[in-house]
Amino acid sequence: MNDLRDKREDCPGRSVGSIFWKEFVKGLVISNPVFILTLGLCPILAVTTSIDNALGMGAGVIFVLLCSNIIISTLRNATPSLVRIPVFIVVIATFVTILSLIFEAYIPALHQSLGIYLSLIVVNCIILGRAEVFASKNPVLYSIADALGIGLGYTIALFIISFLRETLGTGGLNVFGFQLFSLPVLSEHPLTFFISSPGAFLVIGLLMALFRWIGVVKCE
Amino acid sequence: MLKKMMSNGAYPVVFLTLIVLVSVGLLSWMNSITSSVVKARQEEKIKSVLESIFPEITGFDTEEEIYITYGGEEILGYAFITEGSGYGGDISILVGLDVDYNIKGVEILSHTETPGLGGRITETGFTDQFKGLGADDVALSKDGGKVDAITGATISSRAVVEAIQGSMIEIIEKLNSR
Repeated sequence: MNDLRDKREDCPGRSVGSIFWKEFVKGLVISNPVFILTLGLCPILAVTTSIDNALGMGAGVIFVLLCSNIIISTLRNATPSLVRIPVFIVVIATFVTILSLIFEAYIPALHQSLGIYLSLIVVNCIILGRAEVFASKNPVLYSIADALGIGLGYTIALFIISFLRETLGTGGLNVFGFQLFSLPVLSEHPLTFFISSPGAFLVIGLLMALFRWIGVVKCE
Repeated sequence: MLKKMMSNGAYPVVFLTLIVLVSVGLLSWMNSITSSVVKARQEEKIKSVLESIFPEITGFDTEEEIYITYGGEEILGYAFITEGSGYGGDISILVGLDVDYNIKGVEILSHTETPGLGGRITETGFTDQFKGLGADDVALSKDGGKVDAITGATISSRAVVEAIQGSMIEIIEKLNSR
């Protein structure tokens, strides 16, 4: 959990661009929110049953994370530490509700299939975690990089998990109504185990092992 | 200036209140924009489903949550929306009845069932089974009715069937007492 701690002050000699890039890239693999930080796992079990849901959820998390990181970082010097958590929650909940209203009005199918998990982004620990650990202590620009990196890392994780679960569990892949492919034997006898929650645990566990291994290789 | 303000004991209270006020303002503004879109879409959806169940429809009236569909001057049938409690949440179903109170068509408006299992209640293979059934026959085959449950999704299937049967009996009573 070391990478959760902020190390911004130790690298004064580096250019803004390289810090921005570093904060962005770290979310993708070495501190991937799902596989390495293991944050926000609960909605993953629920929404990775199909690629559509996973991408919709990923987009939602990126939007909320970006907006809340910007606001919280902007207000970081004015926010009294006594009420910082309530402030974070209000900011996050506001953006989640905005997102939910937009989805309901303009992408009803996605709003329908994400259901309760869309509103539950409020309590997704990735967003509160990034607010507390990063945005409340860092300038706006780096907070944007952090939000994009972590958000994209989350989306990539959702994408990989849902790709495997949908392919194995239904024997084919449908993206926003278009059938990408349908496997010959699997579509007639799909492994429905992978669509259910235990299947999600198995897929996440294996991927987590893979990402940890990649992370270890990279750090050495 | 900011430091001096922040040392005041009331500052946290004022700050949080301001944040909440901004949030409330923003959300009510967003809601006023989107709520009309959502409402229009729901009506649109109901209309298109009614058209698919009653192809000859020229118009419809609503009376105590019952949709009365007309083809010209003649009554084509009735429709109602019912809610079932499925495996993953509420299932909203629109049911169309002909003038003899047999089912003319069933359409799942919304659900949160598991894709690939309970989610298959939206498929025509399941919903077409209801066509022509009277209230007594709307039950799963294993419960003595005429609807086959989806393999691996008995809870979802039963939720649909029971919601339809329950509301159908009520609606028919209402229609008869008119």
